[in-house]
This record gives sequence, structure tokens and C-alpha cells, in this order.
Amino acid sequence: MKRYKKWLLALGVVLLAGAGLIWYLYTLKYDDTATIKADYTVNALDFINEFKKDMAAANKKYSEKMVVVNGMVSAIEMADTTANIKMVDTTNGAYIIFAFQQQHLNDAKAIKQGEQVSIKGSCSNGAFSSILETEYITFKRCAVNK
Amino acid sequence: MKKTMLSLAMVLASGLLFAQKKTTTSAVISFDATTPIDALPKAENKTVIASLDTKSGTMAFEAAIKSFAFSNPKIQEHFNDKGWMDSDQFAAATFKGSIVNLKEVKFNKDGTYAVSVAGDLTMHGVTKPVTAKGSITVSGKVIVATSEFSVKLEDYKVEGKAIAAGKVAKEPTIKVVAEF
Repeated sequence: MKRYKKWLLALGVVLLAGAGLIWYLYTLKYDDTATIKADYTVNALDFINEFKKDMAAANKKYSEKMVVVNGMVSAIEMADTTANIKMVDTTNGAYIIFAFQQQHLNDAKAIKQGEQVSIKGSCSNGAFSSILETEYITFKRCAVNK
Repeated sequence: MKKTMLSLAMVLASGLLFAQKKTTTSAVISFDATTPIDALPKAENKTVIASLDTKSGTMAFEAAIKSFAFSNPKIQEHFNDKGWMDSDQFAAATFKGSIVNLKEVKFNKDGTYAVSVAGDLTMHGVTKPVTAKGSITVSGKVIVATSEFSVKLEDYKVEGKAIAAGKVAKEPTIKVVAEF
């Protein structure tokens, strides 16, 4: 009887731990980008050149990494309910585009064209656009780096 | 004679300007693959490249798969894994098509026009013809194209365990908003 109770207790603990783990994973959210330490800090034009030089190597290095990009704002694009910031290499049209985390959207909307800014975000990847015929690098979950 | 030539040149120039291919790098594509047992598989990509040629009616989209942002890190990881979108191998989803009823859209007159768009959607390395209903709203110089449709994941060989288990909808709804 005692042995039976022990097994039952162990089973209960395992089930509870399993349910806890599932609940934890299910409710997990991305942290506020402003609070995350960056993996790399780069200059916008150097960053674009690194992707232009070797797209595969740059994607391997930066994809899904937290990167701070310093550079001049070329455009602010209003997108549906949001605003994206763009930094363009005017010599060839290649660009970096930053989509902001919801809680940092107002900071993005306050940025002016021509302003020097520092933006931190998760680098998605770089690619060549056959529509625009240029390279581009996208970021998600961005915040103004203060 | 000079005035006539000048007027003609201006008309031609304005016509050429209007016929230019319009592009945006901030189109938004969101998808909802939620099911009654899982509310997490939905995401949004706010940095989609899109083009619209108002003269020919051709439209194109390029969406980087890794740019889809989820609220949950685990789901985002699964989404990019080999079992779902395999984004390392198939980095982008693209659409190339045209407005079927282009004659009904007056790009020089404010209004909302119902459109039907047909073309080829490439996703997960598979290209399939699709037709979707949507709308084009003209407001001054701004044109907003929207559409909502669904795709069968099995048509694009997206067949992960989560789909079989009913955690991911077999036919997610896809919403597109592009402002030119």
C-alpha cells in the first residue's frame, strides 16, 4: 500500500511538472528589446556592405541576433497601424528596415528623417529583392537604443 | 504650335509618372493559423516588399519568412524549423500576379474598388496558382491594396507534427495590406 502511494505521489509530481513546463512555454513572451543586451553594435553602411559582400556569411552571423545599428534615418514608412524606420545606402539603394516592438512604436513615430539614431532589434535576415533589384536587411522587435 | 507641343509633353509626362511602378517596403502580411486548442500560431511581417503597376495591373510581393514576428519565442522557433517553413532553405514567400478586373479600377479617382487578383504564390519552395478577392482604395496619391484569403498548407508541402496534431490550422487565413 505504501509503495502504491509513493508511485502515485511520484506520478502526480511528474504530471504537475509537465503541466507547469507546458504552461511556461505556452505563456512565454519576448522580453522588451530595450532590456536585452546586444550581441553586436554596427554602423549602418558598414553593416549593409557586409551583407553585400557575402550575404550567406552575414546571415549566418547576424540572423536572429540582437544588433544595435547606428546610422542616419532615410525614411519613416507608415505601415498599416505601425511605422518602420529605414536606413538606405544612397549609392546603391540597399537598405535596412526596422519594425518596432509595440511598446516602442511611439518612439519610432517621433524619429525624424535625416536624424542620427541608434536602433536595437532582432536581425531577421538579409536578401536580394527581385522587385527592387537591391539588397535589403530586415529587423523585427526594435526599440530606440537609449 | 509651341503651346500644343508643351501641353502634349506635359500630358505625356504626367501619364508616364502615373504609370510608374509603385513600390513599398512596408507592406504588412499577417497570418492566423490558430485552432481551438492553440491560440499562438499567428504572426505579422511588417517589412514586406510590394509593387503595383497601375497601368498593367501587375502586383508582386516578397516576404522574408524570418521577418514574421510572433509573440511567443517557441512558436517562432518552430515556425522557422524544418518541420514548418524551413526558413533557412526557403527564405522568402513571393507572389506575382495581376488585377483581373483592372478596367473597373480608376486610379485617378478617389474611391474603393473591389478587385480580384490572380497569380502565382511561391512558399516553402512550391509554386501554386492562387486567386484572391480584395480591394483597392484610392485617396489622392495614396493607393491601399488589401486582401484576405486562405491557403492549404499541404498544397505547399508544409506538413509538420503540430499541423497533424491540430495545433496549427491546415488552412491559415492570410491578410495583406500594402500602401503605395
